[in-house]
Amino acid sequence: MSRQSKSISFLMAVLLMLAAILSACTKSDSSASNGNASSPAHTASSESGKAGASEDITLRMTVWGAPEEVAAYKEAIAKFEKKYPNITVKLQHIAADYDTKLTTMVAGNDVPDIAQMESGSIAFPLAEQGKFYNLQEFLSSDPEINAERLVPNITYSLEPGNIIGLGPGPESFGLFYNEDIFKDAGLTPPPSKASEAWTWDEFVEVAKKLTIDSKGRNATDAGFDPKNIKQYGVNIGTWWGSYSNFIYSNGGDFVSEDGKTFALNQPAAVEALQKIADLINVYHVAPSPVQAKNIPATNVALQTKKVAMAIDGQWASAGLAQSKFHFNVGVIPTMKTPMTTVVCGMFSMFKSTKHPKEAWELMKALLDPEASIDMIQAGTWMPSYKDWYTDPAMLAKWTENLDSRPSGYKDAIVDVLLNNSHQTPTGYVKNFNKIMDIVNPALDKVWLGQQTAQEAMDSIADKAQAQVQGRRDVKG
Amino acid sequence: MRQSKLTLTAGYAALLLISALFIIPFVWLLRSSLMDLSQIFTMPPEWIPTPFHWDNFHRALTILPFGTFFTNTLIIVVSVIVGTVVTSSIAAFGFSRIPWKGRDTVFGILMSSMMLPAAVTLIPSFLGWQMLGFYDTYYPLIVPAYFGGGIFNIFLLRQFYLTIPRDFDEAAFVDGATYLQIYMRIIMPLSRSAIIVVALFSFLGSWNDFMGPLIYLKSDSLFTLALGLQMFQGSYTAQWDLLMAASAAVVLPCVIVFLIGQRYFLEGITLTGLKG
Amino acid sequence: MRKGLFYGLLFTSPAILGFIIFTLGPMIASLVLSLTDYNVFKAHTSFVGIDHYSKMFSGEDELFYKSLGITFYFVILRVPAVIIVSFAIALLLNLNVRGRALFRTIIYLPSIVPAVASAMIWMWLLNPDLGLANSVLSWLHLPTSNWLYSEGSVIPSVVLTTLWGIGGTVIIFLAGLSGIPKPYYEAIDVDGGGWYSKLRHITIPMVTPTIFFNTIMTIIGSFQVFNEAYILTQGGPNNQSLFYVFYLWRTGFRDTEMGYASALAWVLFIIILFFTFIVFKTSKSWVHYEGGERT
Repeated sequence: MSRQSKSISFLMAVLLMLAAILSACTKSDSSASNGNASSPAHTASSESGKAGASEDITLRMTVWGAPEEVAAYKEAIAKFEKKYPNITVKLQHIAADYDTKLTTMVAGNDVPDIAQMESGSIAFPLAEQGKFYNLQEFLSSDPEINAERLVPNITYSLEPGNIIGLGPGPESFGLFYNEDIFKDAGLTPPPSKASEAWTWDEFVEVAKKLTIDSKGRNATDAGFDPKNIKQYGVNIGTWWGSYSNFIYSNGGDFVSEDGKTFALNQPAAVEALQKIADLINVYHVAPSPVQAKNIPATNVALQTKKVAMAIDGQWASAGLAQSKFHFNVGVIPTMKTPMTTVVCGMFSMFKSTKHPKEAWELMKALLDPEASIDMIQAGTWMPSYKDWYTDPAMLAKWTENLDSRPSGYKDAIVDVLLNNSHQTPTGYVKNFNKIMDIVNPALDKVWLGQQTAQEAMDSIADKAQAQVQGRRDVKG
Repeated sequence: MRQSKLTLTAGYAALLLISALFIIPFVWLLRSSLMDLSQIFTMPPEWIPTPFHWDNFHRALTILPFGTFFTNTLIIVVSVIVGTVVTSSIAAFGFSRIPWKGRDTVFGILMSSMMLPAAVTLIPSFLGWQMLGFYDTYYPLIVPAYFGGGIFNIFLLRQFYLTIPRDFDEAAFVDGATYLQIYMRIIMPLSRSAIIVVALFSFLGSWNDFMGPLIYLKSDSLFTLALGLQMFQGSYTAQWDLLMAASAAVVLPCVIVFLIGQRYFLEGITLTGLKG
Repeated sequence: MRKGLFYGLLFTSPAILGFIIFTLGPMIASLVLSLTDYNVFKAHTSFVGIDHYSKMFSGEDELFYKSLGITFYFVILRVPAVIIVSFAIALLLNLNVRGRALFRTIIYLPSIVPAVASAMIWMWLLNPDLGLANSVLSWLHLPTSNWLYSEGSVIPSVVLTTLWGIGGTVIIFLAGLSGIPKPYYEAIDVDGGGWYSKLRHITIPMVTPTIFFNTIMTIIGSFQVFNEAYILTQGGPNNQSLFYVFYLWRTGFRDTEMGYASALAWVLFIIILFFTFIVFKTSKSWVHYEGGERT
């Protein structure tokens, strides 16, 4: 018995070691092939360039999105495949936990040729490890499109001159509102032209009049009960995308111009943050983050008169178009200069692709507004080419006679995007997530009215400063 | 066993109250699946859809190939249940009814597999399966079920086997029975309710598993229901009405399976009661 | 039973092989990775020794102690709550009442409703202004709470929401209860004992193996709480629900520092192992196996 048990435990030990060695092999194996991933790809790519267009090629691409967004990609791909009969595109739809999936794919050396990426997540970490092509190379030699042809702020650069992603279309912010609420209240709706934009104070005054408690009193009335609000004047998200509009409008930023200093504790940013917090805690015209949990998506919130106005991304247009009520969009209120933040996803090309030229053509096909005209007309997307904004005939294609594009749209969204837009902070602030890990908990206290913006930002300034690593739009 | 009227009435009242609390999420799901977007979000909530949007189900189930997803899920789920029930009950027998040196140590080592957060073993596991050439197949989702079916199930069954009186085995031994016969003829029948619980859990676990299929599958022809459900989340907004309808359609089979499992569950009680 | 070892290994071999093939490799890999600066995207991984561990314990990473403290608080609140509530519900469901099949199904329903759908319901139930919880409390003239949205109440509120998911634990208790031979109760009836003495002298001792199982599993599960932070709170407000595994996941997948995340995981592994071991050791004194076996 004891001899037997000894031999068994010996066997076990051997097995354990074997497993350990096996797993070690897996690791070194994969890291070795990871390391070489880019070099064979380079040689392969030059070969495929020589081989010409007759060879059969398969391109893989990963995207996220709702079924109709995926359908739009498929349509663009079908057109592309028609134009290039030797190319087959495999579209992989990763509906949730996209980053986790892509990370395992990278670990397993099974990356697509083109991936849809998001600037706030793993796009830059991948780019920093040299996983993406510099699209500048393609842009500067392409006969059809170049950097000038794209609308502002939809290219993402690792550093000046190294473009790692192109947005298939921008998304900016607007002040959406329910026209009937304004009519009934006898108030003038928000202006749509940036030059006529409401000042912050004008905006607050209107929001007060449109905030109604359960007994029908508005926020300017004496007996107004802020604890029982039936209709809020405005819903303004407390995430960075939303408040960044006002920080930029007020001349502030997340980090200083040279990228060396944390800047959310500087007067311009603090003032903007405080004014937004005051909407919630002083004027009671906007729901707190807590109350906002029960405010539905903008289209439903406006339609059901939970809110009179909503500062939201233009993507809300698609939902609004399907809701049957009179909505419109104005330009967001201005602090110092009219400004909107442009947020958008991007397409990036993995360096390991064997067919960079074909992948670039595919990327162009996806950027082409003509290909995704359905999504653009539905309101979810906007075109990525500038001439679609400046050429009246092309502009008309996607902004006129459509449910998703109300009368204020051209001025409030299109013009502002073209002339007064700012890149999303995730696009140029290095180490953005780590900085925000420190900022967000402090801002929680600001939105809840427990601290002033100045106190909160000062209290974390040193810790945040320690995470500041510079800007991607500044050399060095 | 007799129960006094008072106990029964008080128990009944408590059950009604608790059930009311526990049924809320399900009712919420059902009513949301029949509403349009604006009604889903009305506050305070409305419980009766006006009108009933039955077409949500039609739209949700036709926008994506749910038939394929369903077949795929069924293949995985059935394979997993069979493997789990057979191998976990055999292993649990070895860990409870057979005395051997080092048994509890080995069991302890196996228990440790539940204690390391899955986030850090995800990538090594993926690389292992990929190395074996099983990426984009069902093997990573099914094969582990045939190797013990997870320590959770083994531990659960072990606990039940340990409560069965020893005399049974010894009597059988005297009659010349082997371990396999004891397992088949005594232990399995006596722990029927626990085995049904294991079958039920492995059904639900595999039916609702999202992370496994996400990581190990890449061809959409192999996708499962749990993966399909996620597809209603758009880049900017979720289609709540369709998401709720599809979720309700995916949950319904679970409820039915549970109600059926339930019946055997009750049978299991009388059986063990008689023999005990 | 001379050939105990042979048959023991034979019966348990699928599980042992499964562990060695599917689990041990990845576990060892992550242990090794915890000593490196492994980043999935990086071509080169270098050995950093115990740097990650000293970064944690030296207090350089404030969030380590913070998330660990929050997780301990969660475990301390949740484990007794889950065991007591689910045992009580199982006792009720074990009563011979009409429609108990339906009641059992209802208790299990929240466990199968997809998380995205049930997250919405918690948002409403625990909404400070319009939520059902506060409406009931104010109707009873009790103080209301900000639930998930204030620093002090977020952890107890998350514990509360997880209680909806105890269906599985209840089912296991029910299976345990069903194994109690009825003649035992009849003996108490004969002695004239009531409901309480049945519970005390028969039911509880007889289900100690199940209590033991559920306790271990709840401890392991609670230390690894993740979904609630991922779906409900994102770690807020003010980091007060930054659960350990949520922080670990963020480090590994969002910040791509998989080496450090592996080190975090192994510290949690040791903690869970320690507590599981303690419970196993104490079980000798309170877990009663009818089979006469002691662990």
